[in-house]
Amino acid sequence: MAREATAETGTRPLPAPGIYDEMLAEDGSIRPHYARLQSRIDTLTHEDLAERQRTLERFFLLQGITFTVYGAESTTERIIPTDLLPRIIPASEWATIEAGLTQRLRAMNMFLADIYSEQQILMDGVAPRELVLGAPSYRREMQNLYVPNKAYVNVCGSDLIRQPDGEFVVLEDNLRVPSGVSYMLANREAAKRTFPGTFRAMGVRPVDRYPDMLLATLKSMTADWRPNPQVVVMTPGVYNSAYFEHAYLARLMGAPLVEGRDLVVHDNHVYMRTTTGLRRVDVIYRRVDDDFIDPLTFRRDSGLGVAGLFNAYRAGNVVICNAPGTGVADDKAVYAYVPHIIRYYLGEDPILHNVETYLCREPSQLSHVLANLDKLVVKAVGESGGYGMLIGPHSTKKQRDEFTAKLKANPDNYIAQPTINLSTAPCIIGTELEPRHVDLRPFVLSGEKIVVTPGALTRVALTKGSLVVNSSQGGGSKDTWVLSDDKRGAKP
Amino acid sequence: MMLARVADSLYWMGRYVERAEHLCRLSDVMLTATLDRTEAATQVARIAMSSVGDLDETRAAEPYEAAVGLVLDRDDPASVFTSLARARENARQVRDQITTETWERLNVLFLRMTSPDAAEAFADGSSAFLHDTIADLHMFKGAADATMAHGEGWRFLLIGVYLERAQLIARLLEVCFGDPKRRAVTDHFALTSLLRMACALEPYLRVYTADLQPRYILEFLLFDDDFPRSLRFCTAQMESHLAGVSRHFEEAGQMSPERLAGRLKARLQYADMDELASMGAHALLTTVAGECAKIHDAIYNTFVAYPLEMRLPA
Repeated sequence: MAREATAETGTRPLPAPGIYDEMLAEDGSIRPHYARLQSRIDTLTHEDLAERQRTLERFFLLQGITFTVYGAESTTERIIPTDLLPRIIPASEWATIEAGLTQRLRAMNMFLADIYSEQQILMDGVAPRELVLGAPSYRREMQNLYVPNKAYVNVCGSDLIRQPDGEFVVLEDNLRVPSGVSYMLANREAAKRTFPGTFRAMGVRPVDRYPDMLLATLKSMTADWRPNPQVVVMTPGVYNSAYFEHAYLARLMGAPLVEGRDLVVHDNHVYMRTTTGLRRVDVIYRRVDDDFIDPLTFRRDSGLGVAGLFNAYRAGNVVICNAPGTGVADDKAVYAYVPHIIRYYLGEDPILHNVETYLCREPSQLSHVLANLDKLVVKAVGESGGYGMLIGPHSTKKQRDEFTAKLKANPDNYIAQPTINLSTAPCIIGTELEPRHVDLRPFVLSGEKIVVTPGALTRVALTKGSLVVNSSQGGGSKDTWVLSDDKRGAKP
Repeated sequence: MMLARVADSLYWMGRYVERAEHLCRLSDVMLTATLDRTEAATQVARIAMSSVGDLDETRAAEPYEAAVGLVLDRDDPASVFTSLARARENARQVRDQITTETWERLNVLFLRMTSPDAAEAFADGSSAFLHDTIADLHMFKGAADATMAHGEGWRFLLIGVYLERAQLIARLLEVCFGDPKRRAVTDHFALTSLLRMACALEPYLRVYTADLQPRYILEFLLFDDDFPRSLRFCTAQMESHLAGVSRHFEEAGQMSPERLAGRLKARLQYADMDELASMGAHALLTTVAGECAKIHDAIYNTFVAYPLEMRLPA
C-alpha cells in the first residue's frame, strides 16, 4: 500500500533493510497498531510537534525530573531527553513478553534460592560451579539466609530488544537495583497531556498503579505478625544521579525516604531517627548497591550504609529488597546459562530467548570471538551502563587491538554477542520525524506473586545510527503504550 | 512523626526562603532610595548594608554594585542566590515530603536565579527583577500554606521562617536604634525606607497615620500584636508551632525550645514603651537575638541531634 505524499509528511522513506521498524512494515505501510497515532500526527505540522516537544521539556524541568551531571567545572542538572511520540506494543505481542518475563523471573528466584542454599544446580553440572561462585557479585554472606517467599528479586528491570525478524529477545537481566521506572511514569503523564484523544481511543493499559503494586510487594515480604509494616526507601542521597526517582517513588508510596545516616541498628533491629525518637523499620527498599549497604559486612569505606544492617537482616528483623547477592544471576557470563536454568527448574522451554552469547572463558569460543571482533559486541562481565564495551562494526583498528590484548589477558572477564540492529521507532528530531534505535525495559515485581507492569521504559539512542541507549551515554526515552485490544488501535 | 533530618531540612528551607525575601527587599529599597544622591539616601544605604553585616560602609558608597553582590553573587554565602540555592537544595532533600505545587514554586525561583540571563535581567530592571522574585516567594509560601498538610513538617518550615524573620527585624532595629553612641535615625526619608525594608509602611500608616516617629516605629515593629513582622508576632508564632511539634522530651538541665520561645514571648508581651525607654532599645534587642540563638540550639538538641541513648527502646 503506497501512501500519498502530503506537503507536511513528505514522502515516507522505506525502513532501512535488515532493521525492524516499530511503525513501518517492510513495504513502507503503517503497521495497524500505529494507524490511529499516525493519523493524529498527520493533522499536526512539524512546527506543532516541535512546539509540543518544547512544552514537554519545560514541564520536566519545572517538575525537577532531572538527573545530575558531574563535570569538572560545574555540576548541572539535566532533563532526560524525552521523545514525545509513544512507542506502541500490540496486546498479542505483550502477552508473550508478559508470560516470558514471568517465567524468567520465577526461574531466577529459584536459581538464587538454590545457589544460596543446597546448590543442587551446581552439583548437577547445569551451570559451572566456578563461574557462579566465582562471580564478583556472588555474596557468601547470603548463604542459608531465609528470604520470605523465596523472592530475592523484588524489582526486576530486564532489557529486551527486538531483532530484525520482529522477535523480542532478552539482552540483559537487571536484578540488582534497576532504575528508570519514574521515567516510565513521568513519560506517561506527559504523553497523556500531549495526545489525550488518541490515548483514550486506543485503550492503552494503565501503569499508574505501579507505586501501590510496589508497596504491596514490599509489604508482602514481612512476617504476618507485623500488621502494619514500616516501609522505607533508602537512597544514597541527593547527589545520586537517580535521586529524583528515589524521591518520586517514596512520595507516591507515602514511605519515608531515608539515607544511611537516618538509620540506626540496635540489638539487631533497625530504627530511623525521627523528631519524636526512634521508630522501627520493617522493610527497606534500598536503592544503594550491595557493596555499600553495611560497612561492617561489605565495603568498610562506605559512608552510605548502616553499620549492623546485614546482621539485623540475617536475624530476620528487617527485610532488604532486593536481597543482596542477586547480581550473581544477572552476571553477563551467567546470562548465557539462563535458558538452561529455566529448563532445569521449570521443565519448560524459555518463552523469551537470549541473544546468542560467546563465553570468552571457553577457548574454542574465544578464538571465534578474536577472529570476528569486527562483527561482534564485546562486553566486560562486571560492567554495566554501556561502559567497557566494544561495538565491533563501529570500532577502529586501534580499539580492536586494545580489546584483543584485553581478551587474551583476561578472557574470563568478557563475553561477546553478535551485533544486533535494535528495532527503530519514529522520533522527533528537530522538526523532523526520523527513526532511531530503541530497546524496551519492562518492570516486573515479585513478592508473594509476580506482577508484570503493562508498560515499560523505551530507551532511545538519539544519535543517528547509534545503538547505545544508556542515559549516561546520550540516550533518551519515550512512553510505551501497551494496547489492551489490538482492534482499537487499528481503527483510525 | 517525621525523620529528624527531614525536620532539619524543612526548618532550614524556611530560614533561607525568609532570608532571600528580606535581602530582595533591602536591595530594592536601597536602590530606589539612592536614585537621589542625597545625604538621607546615603544613610539608607548604610542602614541596609550594615544590617546584613557590612560594617565598614565601603560597599554602601556604591549601592548598585552592593545590590548586585547581595542578590547575584554566587560565592557570597549571604546572597539571595545562595539562599535560594540552599533553600532548593533542602527542598530536594525532602522532595518526598513537600507537595509538587510547593516544590514547583521554589524550583521556578531557582531557575530564574541560575538562568544565564539573570544578570542581564537584573541590569535591565532591578526593581522588576526583585519585585518578581519577592512575588514568587509569596507564591511559594501561599502554595505551602494551601497545599501542604498543616502537620509537623509544615510547622518546622514556619518555625524556620519566623525565627529567621525575628532575627532579621531585630538586626534592622538594632542598626537604626540600638547603638546609644550613634545618633538614632530620625530623618523622615530614612524612616520611611526603614519601614519599607520591614515591609511595614502601609500597615504602620494605618495604625499611626503618617506621623513617623522612631518611638512609634520601634513600638510597632517590636510590640504590635497583629503585624506579621513584629517581634511579638513572630515569637508568638514560633511558640505556637513549637507547641504543635513538641513531644516533651526535656533532657535534664535543658529547656525545651517551646519553653524558651514561651519565655521570649512573655518578655515581649509584658514589655512596654516606658520600660524600653528606661533600659534602652539595645538591651531588649540583644535579648531577642540571644534568645533566638538559644531557641535554634534547643530545636537541634531536641528534634535533630539528640543523643541516641535517651531514645532507645527499653
